[in-house]
Amino acid sequence: MRSPTQYRGTLRAAAVAAAAALLLAACAPGGNSEAGPAPSKPVSTGIGSEPVTLKLLVTSGVDVPFYTALGKLFHAKYSNVTVEVENQDYATLTTTIARTLAGNNVPDLVRVPQLGNLTKDHLLISLDPYAEAYGWNEWPQSQFASTRVAADGRQRGTGSLYAAGAGFGLTGVYYNKALAQRIGMTRPPATVAEFEQLLAKAKDAGLQPIMINGKDGGSVYPLQNLAMSSAGDAQAVQDWNYSKPGASIDTAATVKAATTLQRWGQAGYLPADVNDIDQTRAPAEFIKGNGVFFPSGNWQAPGLDKAGSGQFGFFLFPPGVAGGPSYAMTAAANLGIPAKSPNADVAAAFLDFVQTDQQARQETVALGGLVPAGPSDAPAPTAPEGSAVAATVSAFQEVLKNNGLVGFMADATASIHVNSLIPQTQLLLAGKTTPEAFAAKVQSDYERDLGQ
Amino acid sequence: MTDPSSVPAARQPAARRPSARRRRRWSALLWVAPAFGMYGVFVLFPMLQSVQYSFYDWDGIGPATPAGLDNWKAIFTQPELLQSVVHAFVLVLFYTVLPVGLGLVAASLIRELKPGAFSTTARVVLFVPQVLPLVAAGIAWTWMYSSDGLVNQVMRAVGLDQYTRAWLGDFTFALPAVGVIGVWVMLGFCTVLLLAGIGKIDPVLYEAARLDGAGPVREFFAVTLPGLRRELAVCTTFTIIAALASFDVVQIATQGGPGYQTMVPGVQIYRLTFLQQHVGQASALAVFLAVLVLVVIWPIQRLGREK
Repeated sequence: MRSPTQYRGTLRAAAVAAAAALLLAACAPGGNSEAGPAPSKPVSTGIGSEPVTLKLLVTSGVDVPFYTALGKLFHAKYSNVTVEVENQDYATLTTTIARTLAGNNVPDLVRVPQLGNLTKDHLLISLDPYAEAYGWNEWPQSQFASTRVAADGRQRGTGSLYAAGAGFGLTGVYYNKALAQRIGMTRPPATVAEFEQLLAKAKDAGLQPIMINGKDGGSVYPLQNLAMSSAGDAQAVQDWNYSKPGASIDTAATVKAATTLQRWGQAGYLPADVNDIDQTRAPAEFIKGNGVFFPSGNWQAPGLDKAGSGQFGFFLFPPGVAGGPSYAMTAAANLGIPAKSPNADVAAAFLDFVQTDQQARQETVALGGLVPAGPSDAPAPTAPEGSAVAATVSAFQEVLKNNGLVGFMADATASIHVNSLIPQTQLLLAGKTTPEAFAAKVQSDYERDLGQ
Repeated sequence: MTDPSSVPAARQPAARRPSARRRRRWSALLWVAPAFGMYGVFVLFPMLQSVQYSFYDWDGIGPATPAGLDNWKAIFTQPELLQSVVHAFVLVLFYTVLPVGLGLVAASLIRELKPGAFSTTARVVLFVPQVLPLVAAGIAWTWMYSSDGLVNQVMRAVGLDQYTRAWLGDFTFALPAVGVIGVWVMLGFCTVLLLAGIGKIDPVLYEAARLDGAGPVREFFAVTLPGLRRELAVCTTFTIIAALASFDVVQIATQGGPGYQTMVPGVQIYRLTFLQQHVGQASALAVFLAVLVLVVIWPIQRLGREK
């Protein structure tokens, strides 16, 4: 038996805790709204002659040798600047970036996977003055669209520029040339229907038609591509990506795309264990010959060429009707300048350098597997004929001409990829959700993320 | 969080003079003060802060706006959040019920073994998973569960071909598969702890039971089990907390997928905080989880006390 005095002790503790909670609740957490300095500092394109250590924070893996090489090139041109490359893996960088930039030891340039709340909380400086000083405003502007953020801190594609990058990711479909020949593919499919016929032929030939990483989001690529090619209007997807007011993905095009993807899954065009394959295993399986087609991005090209030069080809995801517009999902490998960076001018000079220097552009393709950004009249980098890299570069030129570059749906909000697109495509492929429910759910999660 | 091994301090015998008692109480407080100070700054204060954050809409950096009870309501209205809590309780079966049950069996069997190389090896083998970081365990099991992994290889070798699958990518089996990793991790801890507990039981009791004609099963229920009351309480408390607060294994092995099949509150809180930057919502779920843990642990703690 517990005596009443003991209960009194518990009560007293509870009362103290409640009082403390109330006290704490009285003052709101968080900093003030003006965390960073005003974006309108005077800027200079000069490098100076003082020794400067330019610190870069990029993602682990392919980024590191790539930016290290760019840093060496920059140092060769400006000997007083030493570029130091630090890295964090993608997931860690995504989760810690806001805190890193709000802290005391900030880099001078940081790879920004998603802008999230970085602009709203004034953690990055606006690059507008630099864009003007370096003449970026004269270049094709679509390359900067994804990192423009409106004054509301939410809508993208318009407003001030917050990041720029060395090059662009681009997605399409890789194919194993030997296996493609076996199923009688003489040229890339001209329509989605033709592509499906090839998939059926591959299936009949006892081959795995598509290799893809369903565990961490690879199956979202064909989904978005199908949505764009079926509808023939990529603008709706782009508006959605950029949080344009009223944008919706709950459309007939999305439902149609989801229906097709689900059919592919049921027909056995995707691996049986699709939801267990991640982005490390998928290219490895594809290189082994497990899969005729591999929908993925140009960042895979250097690796595929290394594994078997000339063995793998690349084509843009086919349009819905023959001769129709081709769309490609793209994302710039963006670097932003933190508000607390002490070397903003040098950082901006580095950004300009990687986009304009011929050798830097060459490294962007060779080491980064990315199509270089920059002015439209800059000479295109070269790649060995017949290589996967060369195929991705020429595909990019083609899609640029057609103005068919569209951002990844995965970048629409910070969590739409892991919280909605990945689990929902998994449910879709397993037949546990309908295409209609899929479209509605992704849209409602999107609205929740945006606080609508 | 409650320290699972804490036992209520023996109440001090009533002193004759109240002033002496009071003095002793104050000096005791002095001794406790440094520890309490640390505990307050690093445990209690952050916990209270979480409670506070749960009433705000905050991205972790910028200004916060009061959100009333919205974050709390969401826990019960957003199916994914509530579902993750349900999954955590399914994991209790794997993290607690199975390891404790199997641990009892293993400990009773090892007790019978004569001390020697075999018994030592058995202990070491069972305890090794406890030494490994959970992330490493998660990665290793991911390989073993993959379509060409060890699990499926063994199944093919014994002719169970039609049952092979990518375990962690399977909607039906992903959660149990994650659970099995938990069994593997927790079993050794429970066995070793229970074994130590058995060692403390007076051998005379076993002798008496045997003289009364008890067999090994009867002996287990009459002597071993009652004698392990406290160890069992510690085992269940520790493993239930591990199950309800599980994060690392799930994050590494499945990231909550396929679909939302293995989503647990730990992963959900992590995502809400760092990806969605809804610190308020994450705090509400975290506090809710902590309260749940306390509610579940409380009766076990009371049952585990010596009478």
